[in-house]
Amino acid sequence: MTVNWAQVFFNSAITGSLYLIGAVGLTLTYGLSRFPNFAHAEFITLGAYIGYLVARQSGLGLPLALVAAFLVTGIVGLLCYRGIFQPLAKKGASIIHLMVASIALGFILRYSIGAAWTWKPLYFTATWSAYDIGPLRITGLWVWLILTAVALAILMHFILVKTKIGKAIRATSSNPELALASGINVDRVILITWFIGAGLAAIAGIFRGADTQIWPLTGWDIILPIFAVAILGGIGNFYGAIVAAFIIGLAENIGVVGLIALGLSTSYRIGIAFLILIITLIVRPEGLAMFFRRA
Amino acid sequence: MDPLLYVLDLIVFIGIFGILSLSLNLEFGFAGLANFGKVAFFLIGAYTYALLSQIGVPFYLCLVAGGLVSAVFGLLVSLPALRLRADYLAIAVLAFGEILRLIVKSEEFAGGDWGITVSPAITLVGTSHRVDALVNIGLVYFCLFICFLVAQLLANSPYGRAMRAIREDEVAAEALGKSEAKYKAQAFMLGSAMAGIAGGLYAQYLQYVLPGMFMPMVTFTVWIMVLLGGPANNWGVLLGAVLVQIFVRGTNILKDYFLLPINPSDLQYILFGALIILVLLYRPQGLLKESQIKTKAMEGVRRARNAVKNK
Repeated sequence: MTVNWAQVFFNSAITGSLYLIGAVGLTLTYGLSRFPNFAHAEFITLGAYIGYLVARQSGLGLPLALVAAFLVTGIVGLLCYRGIFQPLAKKGASIIHLMVASIALGFILRYSIGAAWTWKPLYFTATWSAYDIGPLRITGLWVWLILTAVALAILMHFILVKTKIGKAIRATSSNPELALASGINVDRVILITWFIGAGLAAIAGIFRGADTQIWPLTGWDIILPIFAVAILGGIGNFYGAIVAAFIIGLAENIGVVGLIALGLSTSYRIGIAFLILIITLIVRPEGLAMFFRRA
Repeated sequence: MDPLLYVLDLIVFIGIFGILSLSLNLEFGFAGLANFGKVAFFLIGAYTYALLSQIGVPFYLCLVAGGLVSAVFGLLVSLPALRLRADYLAIAVLAFGEILRLIVKSEEFAGGDWGITVSPAITLVGTSHRVDALVNIGLVYFCLFICFLVAQLLANSPYGRAMRAIREDEVAAEALGKSEAKYKAQAFMLGSAMAGIAGGLYAQYLQYVLPGMFMPMVTFTVWIMVLLGGPANNWGVLLGAVLVQIFVRGTNILKDYFLLPINPSDLQYILFGALIILVLLYRPQGLLKESQIKTKAMEGVRRARNAVKNK
């Protein structure tokens, strides 16, 4: 069997870009609110449906769909935090209660989406125009995806390092009490982070939906690798997440080659991220965090 | 459909989910472990039962084997996972369940997407479905009774008190010489064994196993039962199991009589989600509160308090 390695590496970059966009919001809210938000999967799904509504049903194109999905899902994320998690945290709920509440929120969102759009899969377009460059096969969608991930990485770096809100996010993430004592409005910082995080999840949802299909489990299908990225990168660590996303992208795509060579089902692909997740949790629960500045 | 059979069917389901909620209560209620992968151990029990009964092993051995295999997996999973924080444990076990479902879905020996047909545990020749359901009720409630007895004995023993102590304050309990990891691993193992037995009962009652029966949804149905009924109260979680099952059936019946503008199964899960959030917000202790510990020492404390008050 000959393997087109150039394509494998290119696919790894695509997978990594998708996971990065999906995981940034999760890792930031996890770091700030100190619990994993399982409803992040549903933010991804919601984004995919809003993108479909704008890009396909209204015919307004992909760029506008990205903006609309970012804003709407961001507001939904903010309201969810304000309406459910903030009151729970103020009442002193344990981390287990917060996690269960996030799963419950996930059900509400997922089945509301199912009720609104039915469970039949939807597709953005039947095929994206493909180009052959040397040994590579590239579609317009993938170029968009990689460019978005690069732009996101640069923008987030700029926000986290240069702007006031970015510095406040980093400060609150590393020490909430000290941040509060320094006059940072911690509640507002957390709300803004939930807005940004849910918005970015929505963008990941559009790309995932456009690349495969849109249905109420679009987000849940990729939640495991996204959790793996957040944990491998170190919770709350944006730079760690970038590296982790591409590590897991590579591992999945090389793993698929291995699975085919071993004659196993390629549906085990998601098991590779799981394996990395478990090994990270056992060997190095803090992930790659120590190699990067905290952000 | 035969209405009596419907009620009998409901009673069987309450029994099976009652065992599951007792097992989660042991892990979450008493030991404070966030098992987000309960369905994994339910699946192990069901598939063990199905595979063993295929080669002609008698049903009681299949049930016991399901519990044992599940307990072994519970121990294996818990050993590395218990050193982890609550959130890491939850993610790891949830992922374990998803991978397990993926394996039985992809592998030939487990029947893949089409699953395995299972022969019923006890077949009486020439009887009706009603009698079959009654036989199942007997079997399921026998197992439920044993699990309840074990859970109650544990809860009220020094062992159970040590578990609660660890749940409340790990450091303080360790300082008193109670090994946190040991108690947690044992709770996890016992909980997994109960879930495995429930899985075996489920497989033989439905007479088939499919990967689709073991979605993460099952885990959270059990969580609703425990949270609603009252964590760390065995009677409470059984009450939770009854209420949630009746609610599920109720919405299914409503579907047949009312024209709803929304798909009833979607509505059911939306209401489930809302219910959990409301319980967590307004009654985190559940319907029935945690049962008071009864020991001589506690009685002494109570008497001393009263004496101080009356002085």
